[in-house]
Amino acid sequence: MNANTPTATAAGLRNGAAWVAHALEAEGVDTIFGYPGGAIMPFYDALVDSGLRHILVRHEQGAALAANGYARASGKVGVCVATSGPGASNLVTGIADAMLDSVPMVCLTGQVPTSLLGTDAFQELDVFGMTMPIVKHSFLVRSVDELPHVMAEAFRIAREGRPGPVLVDLPKDVQVGAATHLPAHVPAPVQAPPPPPDAALAEAIAAIAAAEKPVIYGGGGIGICDAVDEFRQFVEATGIPTVLTLRGLGALPGNHPQFLGMLGMHGTRAANIAVQECDLLVVVGARFDDRATGKLSEFAPFARVVHLDADAYEISKLRTADIALPGDLAAGLRALAAARSTAGEWRQRCTALREKHAPRYDAPGTDIYAPALLKRVSELCPDAIITADVGQHQMWVAQHCRFSHPRNHLTSGALGTMGFGLPAAMGAQFAFPDRPVVLVNGDGGFMMNVQELVTIARCKLPVKIILLDNSALGMVRQWQELFFDKRYSEIDLSDNPDFAALAQVCGIPASRIEQRSQIEDALAALLSAPGPGLLHVKIDARANVWPLVPAGQANSHMLDANPNEQKAESAHALPA
Amino acid sequence: MHYRLDLVLKPVEGALVRVIGMTERRGFAPRAIQGFPDAADGRWRLQMVVNSGGRTAETLRRQLQKVYDCESVQISPVDGPLPGEAGAGHGGAP
Repeated sequence: MNANTPTATAAGLRNGAAWVAHALEAEGVDTIFGYPGGAIMPFYDALVDSGLRHILVRHEQGAALAANGYARASGKVGVCVATSGPGASNLVTGIADAMLDSVPMVCLTGQVPTSLLGTDAFQELDVFGMTMPIVKHSFLVRSVDELPHVMAEAFRIAREGRPGPVLVDLPKDVQVGAATHLPAHVPAPVQAPPPPPDAALAEAIAAIAAAEKPVIYGGGGIGICDAVDEFRQFVEATGIPTVLTLRGLGALPGNHPQFLGMLGMHGTRAANIAVQECDLLVVVGARFDDRATGKLSEFAPFARVVHLDADAYEISKLRTADIALPGDLAAGLRALAAARSTAGEWRQRCTALREKHAPRYDAPGTDIYAPALLKRVSELCPDAIITADVGQHQMWVAQHCRFSHPRNHLTSGALGTMGFGLPAAMGAQFAFPDRPVVLVNGDGGFMMNVQELVTIARCKLPVKIILLDNSALGMVRQWQELFFDKRYSEIDLSDNPDFAALAQVCGIPASRIEQRSQIEDALAALLSAPGPGLLHVKIDARANVWPLVPAGQANSHMLDANPNEQKAESAHALPA
Repeated sequence: MHYRLDLVLKPVEGALVRVIGMTERRGFAPRAIQGFPDAADGRWRLQMVVNSGGRTAETLRRQLQKVYDCESVQISPVDGPLPGEAGAGHGGAP
C-alpha cells in the first residue's frame, strides 16, 4: 500500500465487519437478505452505520432463496447472511439451488472465533466443509488482512464465466478485528470468455447450410450470458425451428413463429418430435439435462450436434459434439447469424406440428382448469416476472405462460426446490419494486416457506400470489397413479389450512375461487390491487400434467391422457 | 480404465478436499494419491491415479480445471492394472 491508497480509516471502518459491509456497498450491493444470530452480530452491528438495506426474513432458507430470486431476476449478485451453526446450515438448500442453476450469489456466514474452530464450540459447524460440493468457491477467513482479497474474489468468482454461489465464512474475531489499516475495497474485474474458435464457427455455418432438418435447442445459458438479443437474431437469420429448455423459456417470445415449445419430459409434442427427427441440433447454452433429453442414447438419434456453451465443461459431457463451440455465447451467436438454412420443407413440417399439437383450453365443465387460468394470467400481465415453485403447477406455468425474457421466468430448474417460489418472488420484487411480480405456487411447496408471507406483508411488497391448491402433492400423486399402480402413498394434503385466512392473518388480502366463472373478476381484483395479494384457487386433485415422457424413456414415448382417463378426468376434474 | 492426474494446486485451505471431492463426485475412484509442496514456488503438486469407471477423462479434466484452487491439471492413461487390483501381481517377491 502506498501513501495515496485510500484506507478504511477514511471511511471510519473500525473493524472487519464494517469493512465487509463497506465492500458490499463498493460492489454495488444495495439489498441483502438475512437473519442475525450470535456469531454474526458484529456484522449486524456494522449494518447500523451502513447504507445497505437488510431484509429480515423469517427463516434463513428464505434469505438464501430470496437472494437467489433477486439474482435471477436482476442478473446482479444476490447476497444473504446468516449466523453460524443452524443459521448457516439453513442456507444450504438455497445455495445448492443457486449452484445447480448457475445463479451468482455471495453468502456470508458468521463463525465461531478462530481460536475455537475445531473444538465443538457453541453453534460451531463446518459450513466451509459441508457446502464444498454446492459452491463455486468458498473462503474461511482466518484474518482481517485477508478480507480485501477474499471479498473481491468472492464477487469476481460469483459473476465470472458460469455464475454461481460463493460462501464467505467469517469468524467472530475477524469481524471484530481492527480494520483501519485496510485499503478501501476495489472490485475485481470480470473477464469475458474468449469467442469460440473461428474454424469451428465456419464448420458450424457450413453444417447449418447443409442440414435438411435443423433444430435449435436453447437453454438457460442464453439468459445467464445476456445473449438473448444475439440468440433471437441468430434464430431469425437462419429461420430454423427452435425448442427451449425450462430455463431457456423467454429466449424467444412465446408466440414466435419459429418456437415449437419446451422440449423434454413435459415438453410439447411438436418440440419433442422435431428434435427426434432432426438431422442437425444446434445447442446453445444448454447441457443435455435428463429432464430435457429423456433416454440419452435415443435423444435426437439422427442429428449431428453443434454445441455452443460458455462453459467448456458442458460440451461433450453427455452427448459428444460433432462441432464444439466453447466460448462467449453472444460472440458465437453473432458469428453464427451469418449462417443460412434452406430447409423450407422442414420448416413447414414443424409449423404443422406446432399447429396440430397446440394446447387446447376448451375443457368442458365449470371447475377451474389450471392451464387456462395460467394462460389468462400471462395474457393479463405479459411483462410480469412470473415465479413458480416446484411441481405440477411449475410445469403448467412453463407450458402455458408466455415469457418475453428468460429473467421473467423464475423457476428452480435443476434442483427442483419446493419452497423456492415465495422467497424467490420476494427477492425479484425487491430487485424490481415497480414491476409486476406474480407467484404461482402449489399447496405443498407453499407451506415450506410460508413464513415469508410475513416478510412480504411487512415490506408491503406487491407480490401477487396465485395458489393452486389440489390438496395433494400433485406431481408425486401423478407418478403414483401412472407408475406405481395407483398405490397412493403420503400425498394427501386435504388438511391444508384455510390459505386465504392464513394470508389475512399475516396481513395480506386474500380471496378464494372454485369456479372458472370467478376467474376474470378474481384476477382483475388481484392484479389491480396496490399491495400484496393472494388468490386461493381450488383445483381438482386428479388433474395431471400432459404430455409426459416417463423417466428413462425416449422423448418419442410421450404419454397423454388416454380416452378412458380423459373421460374420467372429464367426469371429475373437468365435469361437463 | 485408469488415469493419472497431475495437478498443481494453490497451497490454501480446502484445496485438497476440493479436488479429491470433485473427482469422486464425478464418478472417478481415487486409487493412489501422493503429493508434496514444490520447493520452488510453494505450490502443491498432487498426483492421483483414478479408476474412471468408464467415464470420459477429458470431462473430469475440464471440471477440475474449473476448481478455483486448481492451477493446472493433466490427465494421462495408465496402462494395466494397479497393484492390489484384479489382474495385478502381488508386487512382492516372485
